[in-house]
Amino acid sequence: MPPDSDQATLWEAPRPAPRILRVSDLNRHIRVLLDGDPALADVWVEGEVSQPSYPPSGHCFFVLKDAASQVKAVLFREELVRATVRPEHGMHVILHGKVRAYEAQGSYQVYVESITPAGAGDLHQQYETLRTKLAAEGLFEERRKRPLPRWPRRIGIVTSPVGAVWRDIGNVMRRRYPIGELVLSPTIVQGPTASGAIVRALHRLYADTSIDLIILARGGGSLEDLWSFNDERVVRTVVEAPMPVVVGVGHESDVTLADFAADLRAPTPSAAAEQAVPDLAQFPAILDRLRDRASAAMISGLADRGAFLGQEGRALTRLLPDTRAARQRSAELVDRGHRALSARTARELAALTGLGDALRALSPTATLERGYAVARLADGSIVRDPAQATVGEPLEVVVARGTLSTRIEATAKTDEEVLR
Amino acid sequence: MTEPAAPDDLAARPFDDLVAELQRIVQALEAGNLPLEESIARYREALRLHAAAELRLREAELTISELGRGMGADAAEEPATEGEA
Repeated sequence: MPPDSDQATLWEAPRPAPRILRVSDLNRHIRVLLDGDPALADVWVEGEVSQPSYPPSGHCFFVLKDAASQVKAVLFREELVRATVRPEHGMHVILHGKVRAYEAQGSYQVYVESITPAGAGDLHQQYETLRTKLAAEGLFEERRKRPLPRWPRRIGIVTSPVGAVWRDIGNVMRRRYPIGELVLSPTIVQGPTASGAIVRALHRLYADTSIDLIILARGGGSLEDLWSFNDERVVRTVVEAPMPVVVGVGHESDVTLADFAADLRAPTPSAAAEQAVPDLAQFPAILDRLRDRASAAMISGLADRGAFLGQEGRALTRLLPDTRAARQRSAELVDRGHRALSARTARELAALTGLGDALRALSPTATLERGYAVARLADGSIVRDPAQATVGEPLEVVVARGTLSTRIEATAKTDEEVLR
Repeated sequence: MTEPAAPDDLAARPFDDLVAELQRIVQALEAGNLPLEESIARYREALRLHAAAELRLREAELTISELGRGMGADAAEEPATEGEA
């Protein structure tokens, strides 16, 4: 230390008359001393947070302590906003920053630049080591991932029976897929015994072969809170599942090793529920469209048959002598029926809702009522082709209000194209 | 010829079966090569399937059960009152 500096001369006051310092001189001296120590400009210190205060200024003041000592610390608003954790009483943390004297108080404190939960570094390390190891075994490979059943009947849920996650999953299922059945396999999801509990909860569902799909879920939390989902036993148990597993743990940004092992990884518990089942809200409309298509196909089929019957009827009337009036009447009826049917066929399919009822009225009885007849042979078979019948064979003609018994006098075939 | 199923049969069948069957019938009807009697029978079946599926949706209520009650440490201490239908 140079002899002419302030620090040197301060302590070299003449012996007999000690130099009396002002408090501020002393504190300034100490401040300069601390400022000049490069080791104190960049310190990492580990300890337990005690009694943090959050005054309106937006800064955070607390004491960091261990079993023997304590030191004041301050986290200014700017750093507090950026910090990943908010200091809480009892929290075990590592601070990074500098040590400076606060002259006005005659104290020194740590000016915190960053704060991380103690042990986080270790956990990150463990996570990476295990991830690398399990990935090398191929446990996270895409080809291992199974498709989810499109219509799961019984869905196993592994989560805590208390709290928002279970309630949220129930709500999503009630809204989207009320025809399903949820089977809760409750577990604790946090703390030192959680991993074993999760493994047992999964195995309870594995033992039930009627379970189509499993959702493993937990709400958000710190890396420590979610740690069970990075446990090797949990990850391996997910991989061994006999049915597909959807994992939804934490928030979007939390990716646990269980997520990698899942058949489907969902960003959150609610998203897991949504991705596990189809949305039945669309189904009333889908069902109606199917019914309308069935109606349209029936109507157009009947119209085709009407046209065919028209040809048959005309061909038939040509063969019958002295039936001018009947022929006219028949042709009229046939055309009328055909027109009615064709008009329907022409409608847009989209406008068909409600036609199911209309079509129900188009039963064979109603068709007969409009003047059509059905010709049956003695064995009850319906005659569609003259080749089915032989001349002289009895023929029963069914009309709307009864039957006519007659015999076949002649048979003739119409043009091939009419028969399709 | 499709035998018309008894109503109980439809009620016991899973929803997706009803929809799949309805889809198959619609496709068969649209193909247009069924004999008249059969297409009428299929059409009636389609209407029944439609009604049954619609009813199922309207009346559906999520079923919830729980495994491992009384398994001690694994289950949380408090009962799951939330979400029980």
